[in-house]
Amino acid sequence: MQRDIYIAGSGLTRFGELWEKSLRDLMDEAIDAALRSSELDVLEIDLVVVANMLAEITNDQAGLGALASSLLPHHPPAVRVESACGSGALALHTACAFLESGRAKTVLVLGAEKMTDAPTDVVSQALMGAADSELDAPAGLTFPGIFGLIAQRYMYEYGLTREQLSIVSSVHHSHAAENTFAQFRQGLTPEAVSASPLVSDPLRLFDCSPISDGAAACILSTEHKSSVRLCASQIASDTLSITERPTIVSFPATREAMDKALLEADIERSDIQAVETHDCFSIAAIINMEDLGFAKEGKGVKIYEDLYTGQTPLFVNMSGGLKACGHPVAVTGIKQVIDMGKCLKRENVQYGLTHNFGGAAASCGIHILENLAV
Amino acid sequence: MNNSAPITQRGLAREREKLLPGTVVTFTTIMHPPTRLGSRPRMIGLIELENGRRVLAPLLSEVPFIGQMVRPRMRLSHVTEEGLRVYGVAFEALTNVPVMQKFPGYILALSGPSGVGKSTISRMLTQACADYTASVPILTTREPKQGDESEYVYTTPKEFDRLLRTGAIVSATDIPSKGEARRYGYRGADIEAIWREGKVPVVVTEMHLLQGLAHHFGRRSILSFGLLPPGKSKRAKLSQLLHRLRARGRETEEHIRDRLKNAERDLAFFTERKDLFDHIVVNEDLSSLITSMKKKVPGLSGA
Amino acid sequence: MAHSAIVGFGVYLPKYRIKISDIARHWQQDPVGLLASLGVEEKSVPGLDEDSFTFAFEAAQLALETSGIPSSQISAIFVGSESHPYAVKPTSGMLVSALKLDPFSHAADLEFACKAGTAGLQIVDSFIRSGQVKFGLALGTDTAQGKPGDALEYTAAAGAAAFLLGPADHKDALCRVERSLSYTTDTPDFWRAADEGYPSHAGRFTGEPGYFAHVRETLRAVVERWKIELSELDHVVFHMPNAKFPMRIAKEFGITKQQMSVGFIVPTIGNTYSACSLIGLVSVLEKARKDQRILVVSYGSGAGCDAILMTMQKNGKALPVDAREHSYLKYDEYLEHSGALAA
Repeated sequence: MQRDIYIAGSGLTRFGELWEKSLRDLMDEAIDAALRSSELDVLEIDLVVVANMLAEITNDQAGLGALASSLLPHHPPAVRVESACGSGALALHTACAFLESGRAKTVLVLGAEKMTDAPTDVVSQALMGAADSELDAPAGLTFPGIFGLIAQRYMYEYGLTREQLSIVSSVHHSHAAENTFAQFRQGLTPEAVSASPLVSDPLRLFDCSPISDGAAACILSTEHKSSVRLCASQIASDTLSITERPTIVSFPATREAMDKALLEADIERSDIQAVETHDCFSIAAIINMEDLGFAKEGKGVKIYEDLYTGQTPLFVNMSGGLKACGHPVAVTGIKQVIDMGKCLKRENVQYGLTHNFGGAAASCGIHILENLAV
Repeated sequence: MNNSAPITQRGLAREREKLLPGTVVTFTTIMHPPTRLGSRPRMIGLIELENGRRVLAPLLSEVPFIGQMVRPRMRLSHVTEEGLRVYGVAFEALTNVPVMQKFPGYILALSGPSGVGKSTISRMLTQACADYTASVPILTTREPKQGDESEYVYTTPKEFDRLLRTGAIVSATDIPSKGEARRYGYRGADIEAIWREGKVPVVVTEMHLLQGLAHHFGRRSILSFGLLPPGKSKRAKLSQLLHRLRARGRETEEHIRDRLKNAERDLAFFTERKDLFDHIVVNEDLSSLITSMKKKVPGLSGA
Repeated sequence: MAHSAIVGFGVYLPKYRIKISDIARHWQQDPVGLLASLGVEEKSVPGLDEDSFTFAFEAAQLALETSGIPSSQISAIFVGSESHPYAVKPTSGMLVSALKLDPFSHAADLEFACKAGTAGLQIVDSFIRSGQVKFGLALGTDTAQGKPGDALEYTAAAGAAAFLLGPADHKDALCRVERSLSYTTDTPDFWRAADEGYPSHAGRFTGEPGYFAHVRETLRAVVERWKIELSELDHVVFHMPNAKFPMRIAKEFGITKQQMSVGFIVPTIGNTYSACSLIGLVSVLEKARKDQRILVVSYGSGAGCDAILMTMQKNGKALPVDAREHSYLKYDEYLEHSGALAA
């Protein structure tokens, strides 16, 4: 990082089926909550970076930068970024670039997604925009299908069982119990996961993150200090289609972003004690643990087995992850950073990492946060 | 939505490229496919075509399994709202018998640190059981050396790269030596050819290549032996290896030092990655080792 | 006079079947009586994702693969069907692209009820004899329609056959086309209006004034004009709307069961309309021996016949065995497969 960037404020809406709120309402609520949480004045915001993936399709709305900007009294300059479900991390990364270059001193990073205004099959098709429309979609694939293919192959290569896979969502649900913003706060046993309806074998309903509305806002500043500093922001890319990869059970974009983030933060992997990782599907959480280097190839599930039996090798997805907290797609990367800030303070640990990706990790964004109060 | 004429036409050329036989890399059944495709669950496979390209397509197989051989079929994908018929290639199982390859379907892998005697053991095993086993050649970009056995196939870095990119090489690794990175790898076709003869392919390998094979063929299709030198402590083992490397008389002292460094790392690998080894055996006495190994390999006990 | 010869051939049948007795049971009809009167035990049914184009592609692909002729050398293709996927957008055009034929190809779709496939054979034969093309493809393909509850339902089946023709002096010439003739009238025995999903037929009128009158007239012309004895023929293939009609006309002309047997494929496949007699011809080409003579007489309602006389240049060669297991459908599944449930 070329400058010290602090999280000077943050705010979230609840995630879920929010029938009464429009896209604009969600943005407004998150901005409001972020401003109330900080001591800075709204007029200090130099720039807005908006993260959103689906608004053109689900809400007939483009020009999201202008929309967000118009919610602030002084209409600051605004930009919208998109990398499918990784848009949140990308927005934070973009904000960092503006802050490091000095073009802005205080940036509002806003993620918003209003998915429930469109019928489920329209949303499902729109989400396939995160895969390759020429190589992947014509065969009739959906996103659960893509991760079903990945899960099937992972089980073949490493012998992962259905019972083991079911532990992941169970752990995420138990973590969400304390999160008032989470979409699902009820407990979920591994047996219930294994018994839920098949979506795309081997993945079942409770292996998949839900369709959610929500918004999150984060104010990053080089001027206003706080106890949480962003000490690394790195992005990486891979092929869009899984047909163009030599292996589908590991995501190179995660590995690359992770290596670069550790280098930028100048810390060891073992310094990281908390992680918010991108569990769009339970199998992804397992693969992520391996790609982030917290587990060896084929052993990612062990972290979740430990968490399930009450050990804490690492604080993982204390927000409930995408499965239990909800996944308004572009918002997730920003929510992860906000929740990581809370986690670092609550658990009194120094370094935390957020891991967000788009599509089948065609793009990946990793942030490392430092709790300066430790 | 956008299933209009130009999109459909551009799809035709893409579909034609898929008209090749292949094997199933992975598959899934989508319970609720996109509405244009009807109300039934749809089975889709990631297929590796015989030219190395991978494609996604509907899979027509009652009993699908990873590694299943499939052939292309022309099928109707769907009819657009405007009544345009969109055709595409689906893949049909050639056999419903869940046997990946003909007898016996697995690979015998011998790994161990440099100097432990893997090549010697492999040679003795394949000679003693010539009707049942065959060595898999290793592709390498390094120069032929005096004392090299016929297990190496020499190639250029450019050719190696091309074979790797097209998937013809299924497991590869770079082993630095003298400051240059030498590449080693196995061709899938070599292994499959041995299977077709009804024999067990035998590979003499190191950890990355072993992992690569497990990755490609599935861990369960590797019968893996880790070979250790005799000696109670790590120091004792390393000194045994040093002794054997010197006795081989094939390399300079500097080379031997390099190999010993690699060997130390290899020894650590045995404990770290116990899951990659089915048997860990000590190479004390060659002939009793061969006898005990034959007992552990299905199909070879009678050889 | 130049001749053309068949240098490659292929066939495609879907793997689904339905037993006639199961159809009969649904309609509470007597399966035994039906079997006795029709002589058809089971018929082929298209898969949910198959149609006349996909059948034609598979049959043609097999013909190309077994002949070894590069597809780019083929510059004529004529496809006969009663169930072309489109009323306007030719199956032959889609095949030129899918099979990678010479883009400068003569291509058109044909309809003459069940004789559209043999009409295609006659046309390709002419293109080759006139020297306009070196190689051409002739196909018959159908997903035959029979309205649920109607008599046709018991026999209307699905499949395709493809023939690659080339010059008779080609080294791979398998079966030389010697002569052909056709006989045509306007006879309303069986028809389907453009906007109708199912054909209508005139019951018993399809028999004597339809099938028998036309095949009889054609066989007489074959004997008189070509000066051949029907007993000299080694293999005879008629259009097979059921198992009875072809046997009856054969008996009338003294054609024996032996002459008919190799091409007699209807009992386990059903009537594949434009592909019917052609699939019988495929069966003959697989088994016939050098110098054997073959006569195909197809019949198309509306009505007319094509008669084609051929001589084997070498021993026939079997096609690769289709190892797919047949999947027997229940009546409700059959309804969906045959398109009856499409809203």
